[in-house]
Amino acid sequence: MEIKSMQFKARAAGSLANVALQGNLKNAKGKFVTKRAEAIRDLDDFEGTRDAAAAIRNKVIDNLDLWLERFEQKARDTGATVLWAKDGAEVCRLVIDIAKKHGVKKVTKSKSMLSEEAGLNHALEAAGIQPVETDLGEYILQVDNNEPPSHIIAPAVHKSLDDVADLFHKVHGTPRKTDIPALTREAREVLRGHFLSAEMGLSGGNFLVAETGSVALVTNEGNGRMVTTLPKVHVVITGIEKVIPTLEDLSTLMRLLPRSATGQSISNYFSILTGVKKPEEHDGPEHLYFVLVDSGRADVVGGDFHAMLRCIRCGACMNHCPVYQTIGGHAYGWVYPGPMGSVLTPLYAGIENSIDLPHAATLCNQCGIVCPVKIPLPDLLRKLREKQTERGLRPLTERIGLRMWAWVAQQPKLYALGASFGARYLKWLAGGADRIRVLPTAPEWTLGRDFPAPQGKTFRELYAARRKSAAT
Amino acid sequence: MNSREEILGRVRAGLQRNATNAAAGREVMAAALSANSEGPKPVFDTAPQALLERFRVKSELQSSTVDIVAADADVPAAVARYLAEMKLPKAAVVQPALAALDWAAAGLAVEARGARDADLVGITGCFCAVAETGTLMMCSSPDTPAAVSLLPETHVAVVQASRIVAYMEDAWNLARKELGTLPRAVNFISGPSRTGDIEQTIVLGAHGPYRVHLVIVEG
Amino acid sequence: MRVGLFVTCLVDLMRPRIGFAALKLLETAGCEVIVPETQTCCGQPAWNSGDAPGAVALAKKTIAEFEGFDYVVAPSGSCGDHIRTEYPTLLGEEPEWRDRATALASRTYELTDFLVNVLKVDSVPGDADGLIQGSVTYHDSCTGLRSMGIKEQPRALLAKLRGIQLKEMDGCEECCGFGGTFSVKFGEVSAAIAERKCNNVLASGARAVVGGDLGCLLNIEGKLRRMGNETTQVLHVAEVLAGRV
Repeated sequence: MEIKSMQFKARAAGSLANVALQGNLKNAKGKFVTKRAEAIRDLDDFEGTRDAAAAIRNKVIDNLDLWLERFEQKARDTGATVLWAKDGAEVCRLVIDIAKKHGVKKVTKSKSMLSEEAGLNHALEAAGIQPVETDLGEYILQVDNNEPPSHIIAPAVHKSLDDVADLFHKVHGTPRKTDIPALTREAREVLRGHFLSAEMGLSGGNFLVAETGSVALVTNEGNGRMVTTLPKVHVVITGIEKVIPTLEDLSTLMRLLPRSATGQSISNYFSILTGVKKPEEHDGPEHLYFVLVDSGRADVVGGDFHAMLRCIRCGACMNHCPVYQTIGGHAYGWVYPGPMGSVLTPLYAGIENSIDLPHAATLCNQCGIVCPVKIPLPDLLRKLREKQTERGLRPLTERIGLRMWAWVAQQPKLYALGASFGARYLKWLAGGADRIRVLPTAPEWTLGRDFPAPQGKTFRELYAARRKSAAT
Repeated sequence: MNSREEILGRVRAGLQRNATNAAAGREVMAAALSANSEGPKPVFDTAPQALLERFRVKSELQSSTVDIVAADADVPAAVARYLAEMKLPKAAVVQPALAALDWAAAGLAVEARGARDADLVGITGCFCAVAETGTLMMCSSPDTPAAVSLLPETHVAVVQASRIVAYMEDAWNLARKELGTLPRAVNFISGPSRTGDIEQTIVLGAHGPYRVHLVIVEG
Repeated sequence: MRVGLFVTCLVDLMRPRIGFAALKLLETAGCEVIVPETQTCCGQPAWNSGDAPGAVALAKKTIAEFEGFDYVVAPSGSCGDHIRTEYPTLLGEEPEWRDRATALASRTYELTDFLVNVLKVDSVPGDADGLIQGSVTYHDSCTGLRSMGIKEQPRALLAKLRGIQLKEMDGCEECCGFGGTFSVKFGEVSAAIAERKCNNVLASGARAVVGGDLGCLLNIEGKLRRMGNETTQVLHVAEVLAGRV
């Protein structure tokens, strides 16, 4: 997917000015946050479960090569084919090769963020293969000129009922419907035909189970089951970090993933798929392929951002992020929005291609608190800021300003002088009022709010004066 | 160098892999795979009657409906009653595993086979059921095709009360004991299919069943 | 008990009266309070902006200035936490300094936490003064809340003021959108987040919004005024508790 993260500020401004989007975001925020809070309450030991989940993920990523080899062996034992892809281009090449080998004309897809990373739909179309998104949210986006998702769990969260009503009316040529069940039924009827006629199903993978060589899929709509049950070929595309050890570990993680994502105690469907259809079976794919994708992940192993590989893609960090809640996912400009996206985008798509993202956070740590695998997201964002500075990627004025300020702050006398001057300057700007309407030194502040006026003298001046008068 | 070697090579470089830490890593892996250790679980009464009750309550919270009968022989009549109440067709596809029940006597026209698009009602058993969340565990096999619980608009599942376990972990142990290896598809099902993709409003019946009805056999 | 008061650079520049309020609260409770005059900034802005060398230099300076006291107290959860949690991390590569940072960290407190959990004060001077009357709502600043556990302490202290009733607002734990340099790098987004906070403040019907971190308070006050609200007071908890200074 094309990366537009360098336009973060302009895109964020667009989001703020989009009245309809603001309404949709407000609506979604309340639902995600409230439902999650209710759902975690019935875990007696939520914190203990988080600790266990983080430990499970650490166990794997700390020895990722060994676990990958183990998973690969077990998956092959079950009759699956395991392939490896360095980057998005290789993902596309491998999937197209598989499709051609099996004479595939149509691919039904359940939601896969990695396929978004790779730009797979575009590549399939170019190769004459029809990709059909079947997750309702992804379908809505696909028929709306392949709009990119704005959320990893609810891809069309930025769209309102009216948006979808207009879209389906236009695309399906049906009378405009305005109730959500009727719109859902309409999509069901359109997609059922695709499920039955596709020769290949494509899914992501929430987890790869090393014990059994299985892929685990967490879904609600049933489309994930359709694409992995009906076509003769099933291709799983997952990141190399998705391995977990055992079925018990899967159970632990499942206590957290749906609760953190949608506020469900368990998703509607939770499918653990192992190997291919036996000759006497009525359903299931005859061919199963795993495409294990690097796309930047291997280089994260063992480094400053190693903990990020624990991520299980629940979306809780974005649902709880004040910035995401305010601007939505599109502003972030790539596949992954919100706090996890502001870490992953620089790592996978280039730190130089996403200069704003690590700074587009208040470091409030709401994300760190809700993360089911305890990723210290604010620390990672801060670390990325440090990497930017080290590589000289920040604007020169900012770098000089920061260094000068830090230097002055180490010279108490000079600092005191500067602070006295600053307090008086700001007081003068306020012109006798209790606020400053336009702040020339930090114009961004006063774009949307006033800057309260200072008292006019610094604490240190007043304190020195008080000590002096007390002494005399 | 092929992609596999390149990717694993970079992972190994990141982990500063050497013979010593590889041996240690293999020990960690072997220990994890043999211990099958379980994480914290919610605490509740696991006496058989309590499990049944919890399973019923949690299933209803997942928007399933529940009926309880005394014996296997009562199942066809219970299913017929449900279909009549819901004004649903009396024809159904049934998993071959349940073919032996006397469906005809209850006035139902069932076919024991895999599911087709035109099937409106699908009747299945389940491998076991999980009380923690009100969840069915379905294991695919020639006698228990997966699509019977997926393609029809109505899914009726027969649950043996004796097969209600407390936690998903118990279900894995049962599968290990009785099946040895995992079947092609394990599907945990918790109520009718649903979506919240339009304005986070939950709608039942996305791509799979609109309704799930459970007939629990106390036995 | 000798307490070093870490005034914070923002209080020094913008609201000296908060510093004096903190001083009064500590002295009334029987502390000998020293305000090292060479103190400047804890270095958090440098650390959060990716300037590690600048942050390290300021950390060392602050440690040297404050390690002689029994306790260090700051009228800010954000600055207090930077000393308590981040100093040992950012000096992790230098064992001698890391140990000094760890020693200081264990004696560093946010003001209300110190009053409640170390000094265990029974009363606060603002009660007798009765300067502020009526309902207040409390904004939980992010770092104080989530890293230092500042939640009940300010509320317990406010409850000692007879003229004041606490009216909790919706989303009192949600970020106000300040975020240090975030507020000047992404001003519009920051102000939009602040608007949500201000709407919650206004909906609470409280006469004043009270908080423990000046950055958040400047943000909230600036947004309230831009929204046309002229009546809701925006106060640091120290000001409310200390009364007349």
